[in-house]
Amino acid sequence: MNRLLALVRREFWENKGALRTTPLVIGGLYIAGLLMSIFTTAHFDNDLYTFREAIRFLATQPVEFRATHGYEVILGSSIFFTVVLAFVVFFYLLGALYDDRKDRSILFWKSLPASDTVTIVSKLMTAMVLTPLIFWVVFIFTQVVMAIIASLMILSVGENPWTLIFSVVNPFKAWAMLLVTYLAASIWFLPLHSWLLLVSSFAPRIPLLFAILPPVVFAVLQIWITFLKTFTLNTSLFGLIGDWVANSPAIFVGGEHGGETLLGLGVPLTGDFDHAITLANILDRLFSVQMLSGLVVSAVFLAGALWLRHRATES
Amino acid sequence: MTPIISARGLTKRYGRTTAVDHIDLEIPPGKIVGLIGPNGAGKTSALKAILGLATFEGELSVLGKNPSRDRAALMEDVCFIADVAVLPRWARVWQLIDITEKLHAGFTRETCMEYLKQTKITLDHKVKQLSKGMVAQLHLALVMAIDAKLLVLDEPTLGLDILYRKQFYSSLLNDYFDEQRTILITTHQVEEVEHILTDLVFIQDGKIALESSMEEVERRYVELMVRPENAEQARTLGPLYERELFGRHIFLYDNVAREQLAGLGEIHTPSVADLFVATMKGGQS
Repeated sequence: MNRLLALVRREFWENKGALRTTPLVIGGLYIAGLLMSIFTTAHFDNDLYTFREAIRFLATQPVEFRATHGYEVILGSSIFFTVVLAFVVFFYLLGALYDDRKDRSILFWKSLPASDTVTIVSKLMTAMVLTPLIFWVVFIFTQVVMAIIASLMILSVGENPWTLIFSVVNPFKAWAMLLVTYLAASIWFLPLHSWLLLVSSFAPRIPLLFAILPPVVFAVLQIWITFLKTFTLNTSLFGLIGDWVANSPAIFVGGEHGGETLLGLGVPLTGDFDHAITLANILDRLFSVQMLSGLVVSAVFLAGALWLRHRATES
Repeated sequence: MTPIISARGLTKRYGRTTAVDHIDLEIPPGKIVGLIGPNGAGKTSALKAILGLATFEGELSVLGKNPSRDRAALMEDVCFIADVAVLPRWARVWQLIDITEKLHAGFTRETCMEYLKQTKITLDHKVKQLSKGMVAQLHLALVMAIDAKLLVLDEPTLGLDILYRKQFYSSLLNDYFDEQRTILITTHQVEEVEHILTDLVFIQDGKIALESSMEEVERRYVELMVRPENAEQARTLGPLYERELFGRHIFLYDNVAREQLAGLGEIHTPSVADLFVATMKGGQS
């Protein structure tokens, strides 16, 4: 266990830029964006008249309205964090078993008493737990800073931010839900994580190419053969991957449609799952047949990655 | 005493080429063994098998373990420097010390700091900021602070300057080595290690060409330097190898009585380098 933690810490040291600086930069962008919009408003809005009216209007709305919308705003603003998190994890895993082969430092790591299994587990832990946790913490920190700035604005127009928002909105529930979706999505995407580790363990160069090309070639052939046989463009690996993303327990869609806030798990393209953000729906995905088959695929990929890691110093 | 390394029929093939060809080898504890051979002789392949970095055929046991299967457990008691400058370039010195300490039960931070004090390396340096020699110093400081039973060095000083190489071997011998420990070294710079070796293993075309202790080398092998007029007579005594230097003929004999040779010219104990050349040339003819 101590070994595993030491190795996870080593992953953090090596990837500090991606794992820590990236979310900090996004948080900074959020705060900068808020400040810019405040200055824009102050610049064009005479004595903040419109802003004051908007706040007053908000104050007349029922408590439930404010509570639901506050909750959705908190969760909705996480989407950009989530998308970037997905990219960071993708590229982290792609390099995880590649970089040290490339610079030959694998010879140093293999001279330490840590098995290949614990090494691979440490990389998965970094991708599936540590990185989402860092993004989550920075996200909360960003929201707290933004809430303070917003409160000052509300105070400046003579309204009480406490009675208006903070006494009715429960951010902890939203934050907890976000963390649950992050960890659930980590598990949901285990087949993808495992595939990336597998590629990372054998790619002689440009792992990105080796990660993307085989599924693309496979899917194109699949589509072509199906087309020849049935003259239809039916399901393919693309469809499968697309469904996988669409059904994921991560909060991916946000926005408004006809006055209704659309905030849901994954993307509501298929009817396989309910996309409302509830714990039951998240668990429903994790205990589904899809997840089970995904775990089997993951096991095969991970076994391959382990086998290749064992032989990485062969020549 | 149980041997540190014991190999029987150790073989390593890469496709059709056989890099290591049925080697039998036994290395007892408390030795400094030089594994010496020309390029492509199979030294590194043999070392990789010993360190669990490559699969192999035949029997191989290192500290009673199968290196390919139990690499992680084996590394508790084995240290190696596989090549110069394989430390991760992104890492800071304190991070490497930290992780080695966490993973190695036998690591002593104080010892490591003692070695580092003798260098210009600071804890906050990144590996990529260090010169090649400093990286080697850092790696050696890390390794010498580990209480290991077997230390394997594969060309540990390749590309380093002479001052550093001298210092490297002297601290290895004076500060690290003792009766409990075994050191296995491969190097091209035979002259630099020959004073510290207790045993020699020559390897050629994947086979062992010579396996002997240094004492035995001194007892068995004699170099004789003669004037040209005595050369013919010297040749009749069956030398391993003959070369010419400044008009003198130099012969190398295996197991020929010194008294028999003394009358013909000057006798010496051959250097490891000369013995190596003689063995390799002899093996080819």
